[in-house]
Amino acid sequence: MSHGRTRITRTTVLLVALVAALTPVYWMITISLKIESDQFAYPPKWFSFTPTLQHYYDAFVTRSFAQYLLTSAIVAVVSTACALVIGTLAAYALTRFRLPYNLDRKLSLWILSTRMFPAIVTAVPLFLMMRDLRLLNTKASLIVVYTAFNLPFVVWMMRGFFAEVPRDLEEAALVDGDSRLGALVRVVLPLVSPGLAATAVFCLIVSWNEFLFALVLTQTDAAMTLPVGIAGRVTQYEIKWGVMSAAGAVAMMPILVFALAMQRYLVRGLSLGAVKG
Amino acid sequence: MGIRFQNVAKAFGDTKVVDDLSLEIADGEFVVLLGPSGCGKTTTLRMLAGLETVSSGEIYIGDQRINDVPTQQRDLAMVFQSYALYPHMSIAENIAYPLRVRKLPRDEREKRVASVAKLLEIESLLDRKPRQLSGGERQRVALARAIVREPRAYLMDEPLSNLDARLRVQMRGELKRLQHQLGTTTIYVTHDQAEAMTLASRVAVMKKGRLQQFDTPLNIYNRPANRFVAEFVGSPSMNFVEGTIDRGTFVGAEIKFPVNRSGGHVTMGIRPEHIHVLTQPQDDAIPAKVYVTELMGNETFVFLTVGPHKLIARAPADFRAEVESTVWLRLEVEKAHFFPKEKSTDYPE
Repeated sequence: MSHGRTRITRTTVLLVALVAALTPVYWMITISLKIESDQFAYPPKWFSFTPTLQHYYDAFVTRSFAQYLLTSAIVAVVSTACALVIGTLAAYALTRFRLPYNLDRKLSLWILSTRMFPAIVTAVPLFLMMRDLRLLNTKASLIVVYTAFNLPFVVWMMRGFFAEVPRDLEEAALVDGDSRLGALVRVVLPLVSPGLAATAVFCLIVSWNEFLFALVLTQTDAAMTLPVGIAGRVTQYEIKWGVMSAAGAVAMMPILVFALAMQRYLVRGLSLGAVKG
Repeated sequence: MGIRFQNVAKAFGDTKVVDDLSLEIADGEFVVLLGPSGCGKTTTLRMLAGLETVSSGEIYIGDQRINDVPTQQRDLAMVFQSYALYPHMSIAENIAYPLRVRKLPRDEREKRVASVAKLLEIESLLDRKPRQLSGGERQRVALARAIVREPRAYLMDEPLSNLDARLRVQMRGELKRLQHQLGTTTIYVTHDQAEAMTLASRVAVMKKGRLQQFDTPLNIYNRPANRFVAEFVGSPSMNFVEGTIDRGTFVGAEIKFPVNRSGGHVTMGIRPEHIHVLTQPQDDAIPAKVYVTELMGNETFVFLTVGPHKLIARAPADFRAEVESTVWLRLEVEKAHFFPKEKSTDYPE
């Protein structure tokens, strides 16, 4: 009987959590589909309202949200790719090569420490640097900053995954005649691919959602990312809830789809090392 | 191809793992590096493979000094204790890996994989993944991956140690046969003296980083260079009795026999098969007490006490004696070994 009771408790807790997590999302999606008078109706119209796609039209056709979406996608994908390539190589070197004076350990900690100060601290210096490099209002500036910001995360995640791969395998590959890089690509990376996938998802989410640097470093429509674009609809005179919700709903989709596609790897990646295969 | 170690040493920090090792291995030889764990045998193999750097000295393959040649250019093949099969590749891909890295055309690769698979009788496994294979099968695949190309030498690091006893003996035979067939220089690391004796054309016995003796199995067994080699090789182990040689007689507690060598403090060693256990007293026979007997099936190990000494003797399977009964021992004294007590040829403890 107690078995049935735990089950009921578990289900209840899960339901509460689910409702808490999904209500804002549901609210956002319904607002994006409501005409303005329905948005603020009291009592709130949870289910019965006349749907409209007007806000979507406003956001993506009349205004530049399509442009922001494209910018966000380019910045997120390119910076994630850069962070993965650089971070994976760095992590591999840091796990596999012993440097004198324990430098490999010290370097790893140093890399981690760059995550320890608040991002806002770097905002002004970065703005000045980007201005001097004439990179303000470019996608390149965001790509560079996001790559740098994701790197410590990638290095530390991948270090853990690489440490799980038995050295024998790489040594076997080397004796079999492969180069270091060849062994990494053909033997090690396939084995840590679930970890790589999990890391990629997190990097992508961080880059996709990033607001602070995008706000500081970009002001033009051509370089603006979606989060900044959405926030820009809060103006002195009005708040475009419908447009913002429509853009928000669309902004959510790519990450959702990507995370679902990677779900299989995500679970394996995050629990990699917990169970020896 | 021939392999030469010349005064090779390896130190990790202040710890000397291999010390002043010189070995000359002829082309086509099967050399076993034998020693207890921590004796430097695996490090020696890894230095040859290029997986460890050499602290000092030189290693040659043929006439080429390979100290600074990267692993992948040394053209060796290695079988790891863990087999190190690539888990995400099929067996066929595993075996073909060294060929793929060398950019052999696909049809040539397939042909060679098929012929090696046939040689090792693993044709039916080619489409499987390593995790679907038993230990013995994995071992064969690791061997197949090593012999699929023609390397300058095979390096094997305790390749049989993860197999059960029966399979180990079987694979031992097959390995010997295979090496005979291929005729490629093989360096084999093990701590199992039976493997060393059965496989090797010559055995290099190591202890604490130092080479103790490098000779044929028969000479290692019959003419051990020092007490360590004598004790390590042979099962059950050689018996040792401390004593002195005085005016042509070896004198240990309760054991005394004439010898033809000069005097001093010595350790006398005698193998269990050179002690004959008699149930009746005989001239010159040494009285002893039976401590316990172990019937092995084809023979009996008799554990004995002679004064302060504990000795082991081999007796026929039908030998019977009660515990604590008195028996008499006849030693084949001409087969006895004498080691200086100072152990001057040995590495200091």
